[in-house]
Amino acid sequence: MIKKVKKIVKDFGLGELRSGLKVTGKEFINNNITVQFPEERTPISPRFRGLHALRRYPNGEERCIACKLCEAVCPANAITIESEAREDGTRRTTQYDIDLFKCIFCGFCEEACPVDAIVETHIFDYAFESREGSIIDKKSLLAIGNENEKAISKARLEDSKYK
Amino acid sequence: MVDIEFEIDGKLVNANQGDSIISIADREGIDVPRFCYHKKLSVAANCRMCLVDIEGNPKAQPACSTPVANGMKIYTKNDKAKNAQKAVMEFLLINHPLDCPICDQGGECELQDVAMDYGSDVSKFNEGKRIVADKGIGALIQTDMTRCIHCTRCVRFGAEVAGIVEMGLTGRGEDVKIEPFLTEGIQSELSGNMIDVCPVGALTSKPFRYEARTWQMNAIQSIARHDLVGSNIYTQTYRGKVKRVVARDNEVVNETWISDRDRFSYEGLNHESRSLSPKIKKNNEWQDVSWEVALDFAVSGLKENTQMPSQFGVLASKHSTLEEFYLLQKLTRSFGSENIDYRLDKADLSIDNSLSSTITLAELESIDHALIVNSYLRLEQPMINHRIRKATLSGASVNTINIKKFDFNYGISLEVLSAPQRTVSMLQSVLKSLHEKTRTTLPKYLSKTKTDVTHNKIADDLIAAENPVIILGEHINSNPSSSNVVGLISEIAALSNAKIANLSLTGNSLSAERVGFKPANGGSDVTSMLSGDTKSFLLMDVDPNYDFISSKLATDTFNKKNVFVVSLNSFEDEQTLSSADVILPLACFYESSGTHINFDGVAQSFSASVSSPGDSKPGWKIIKVLADLLGFEGFDYTDSSQVADDALSIDITVDNNSEVNIEVSEDSQVTAHWQNSPYASDAITRKAKALQETQIGKINDAFVSDLTAKELKLSEGDLYHGVPVSINDSVAEGCVFVHTYQSRQG
Repeated sequence: MIKKVKKIVKDFGLGELRSGLKVTGKEFINNNITVQFPEERTPISPRFRGLHALRRYPNGEERCIACKLCEAVCPANAITIESEAREDGTRRTTQYDIDLFKCIFCGFCEEACPVDAIVETHIFDYAFESREGSIIDKKSLLAIGNENEKAISKARLEDSKYK
Repeated sequence: MVDIEFEIDGKLVNANQGDSIISIADREGIDVPRFCYHKKLSVAANCRMCLVDIEGNPKAQPACSTPVANGMKIYTKNDKAKNAQKAVMEFLLINHPLDCPICDQGGECELQDVAMDYGSDVSKFNEGKRIVADKGIGALIQTDMTRCIHCTRCVRFGAEVAGIVEMGLTGRGEDVKIEPFLTEGIQSELSGNMIDVCPVGALTSKPFRYEARTWQMNAIQSIARHDLVGSNIYTQTYRGKVKRVVARDNEVVNETWISDRDRFSYEGLNHESRSLSPKIKKNNEWQDVSWEVALDFAVSGLKENTQMPSQFGVLASKHSTLEEFYLLQKLTRSFGSENIDYRLDKADLSIDNSLSSTITLAELESIDHALIVNSYLRLEQPMINHRIRKATLSGASVNTINIKKFDFNYGISLEVLSAPQRTVSMLQSVLKSLHEKTRTTLPKYLSKTKTDVTHNKIADDLIAAENPVIILGEHINSNPSSSNVVGLISEIAALSNAKIANLSLTGNSLSAERVGFKPANGGSDVTSMLSGDTKSFLLMDVDPNYDFISSKLATDTFNKKNVFVVSLNSFEDEQTLSSADVILPLACFYESSGTHINFDGVAQSFSASVSSPGDSKPGWKIIKVLADLLGFEGFDYTDSSQVADDALSIDITVDNNSEVNIEVSEDSQVTAHWQNSPYASDAITRKAKALQETQIGKINDAFVSDLTAKELKLSEGDLYHGVPVSINDSVAEGCVFVHTYQSRQG
């Protein structure tokens, strides 16, 4: 009986509406937490594992020596490498493909690399316009590396004290 | 004889007097780390990695050079042994570069493996590491001597197995390094084994350099078909391509070694002239067509061009598989023809001179005298030569009767020179001398034969030996009187109780013999096919430029307008293109399953290591389909092993016991012997680039003696059929010995 009366008072007194409006009112005064992506971005950890890149040494020489440890360690078999001796006799890749559909962004390739050539950058907002687009080749990997070298080296530096 | 009992890691074991600790540890499955010890090489004990603790000994002792003794108590894993091993490991790693990621040995490296167990994470050595400049040692082996740990396995291999000391340890202490003595590169025909024995990445395969990592490859058991031995190998494949060939242990066949030809010939598989799709020639223009069209064209061409079955001829290379030989002879005989032959490079086809060998590979090691007739054994049959070398190391003597003095890797007591046309009379004299010494009745044909000191010496050596062997080599094949030579050799062998090793049937010839791949019942042999009225040919892996005794006769015949030629070939060479009417692309070595019959008569089957490129197909399948299309029964095979079973179960008895009829014919004319260098022996080897760049691959000389040169009006450097003349006293009078990679001319 009392329950029924309470319900009637609440329903006709707009109880639900008021409790809802209470939240709205609170948030109306509080600071805004919406981020205006892509103009604004949330901070990410230096260890964030996003799109891959191949790095170069400061003198412009590519780091990758085709040791294929990343290919061996990759749990998703996403990496394909072909290698041969370059004209100067050094060991280099002729093909370095990563299938981003296969990749699970575990970061093992980065861990395995003896020369810090393959890295995972903080880039996560990328898209493909075709199915083949999911496979990124050596040229684009190196281009990503060139563009983002500053961010990459900064992230490595920040994380270095915990390694 | 087991006479020693001792304890190793608490386990009571028995051994023979003189056994080393490490060999017993290996037998018992106890792991002792080592670098310089190799079961087939002498003990050097210079790496010190195998130190073990022996109770009562103040210091740890090397297990490889310490013989076991009664009551010994050996500990391979206690603190003392472990500490000693770790200390040695630390020293070895002082100068070893940390370049495993770019080292081709990475993943199969003994140093890497042992360092995982005995190395420490951080080096105490902060000084600069030693760097050693590389000296090139040829087209087959890549050196990175900075990685060398001076185990001297390669040096000992050169001295003890290859028989040519080409590398050595120079300098002392910090400056010590392994160096080649000469700059032209390693000359040995077994040099590739240095790659296998090297425990680190100092010596690696040059054609394989940086192509794949060791863990990526599949190792498939296979058999090498280049020589009579049928060496056991692993083909290592990566993404459908053969990337490397390494030896597989088989004590009775190839022990632990393989020849360079077996190791590096795989490069030919990826040659740009590979035949990738069926081709037919219409109005003198080649067209790529589908298999159906090509097979129909081939079948109708064969039918149209052949009015009588006897106008159809089949020729096969001696490197074909047992299955291919069997199906081809079945096809030909179903056709009603007997014109089949594989003896393309044989001059004398008159009687069946397939002298059978009466000795096994393993027994060759225990001979005490060898008479080598007409063979440059070292290059032609490297693994058999190695067995003979082992015999000479334990005291056997070797005499040779050859066209030229060849460079053997063991001492020859008597080198007799004999031009091809005088080999018969030479052997007759030896036989007469034997008859005189054994006081047996002299056959009539020897009554006029003269003997001299040389013949007597050869005969004496044969009689004096307890276990002699007569080795007949492949130079005999181009001798027009080879049947006489064969007859004489069996007489000599019978009289002197010598065993016979017939190496003139190389490649897979013994398979051809097994299935009767020779004309019988009045069929034509290769020469009469080429000069007769054969109107259609089926060629199996035949290169008209190289394979025939007279390439001119062969190409002229094939190029005739009214002769229809179906060529099953892996390569589209100029000569094949000009002589064939249909090319059916054939799977090459390692791309087809098959069987090889070796010197011991052992049939060794192998499976395909990789699939064949393009549209090419295994030979046995092509022949089967051809037979089906020709409407023949009995070709219902679905697997090459069924073919092999059939082939091995048939019993072909060819009556070849014709009376030896030896005529004395002293020919004073100058003859030429054309011998292809070992790296031009078959199609795939000729296409293997690295092999062609070696010293052996570049052999290109027409040797002629001073007198003969005058007679032929040749001088040093002239071209004799395209081969530069080298005037040399080591060659027999009255002949030109052409040793070259070039195709036969004239």
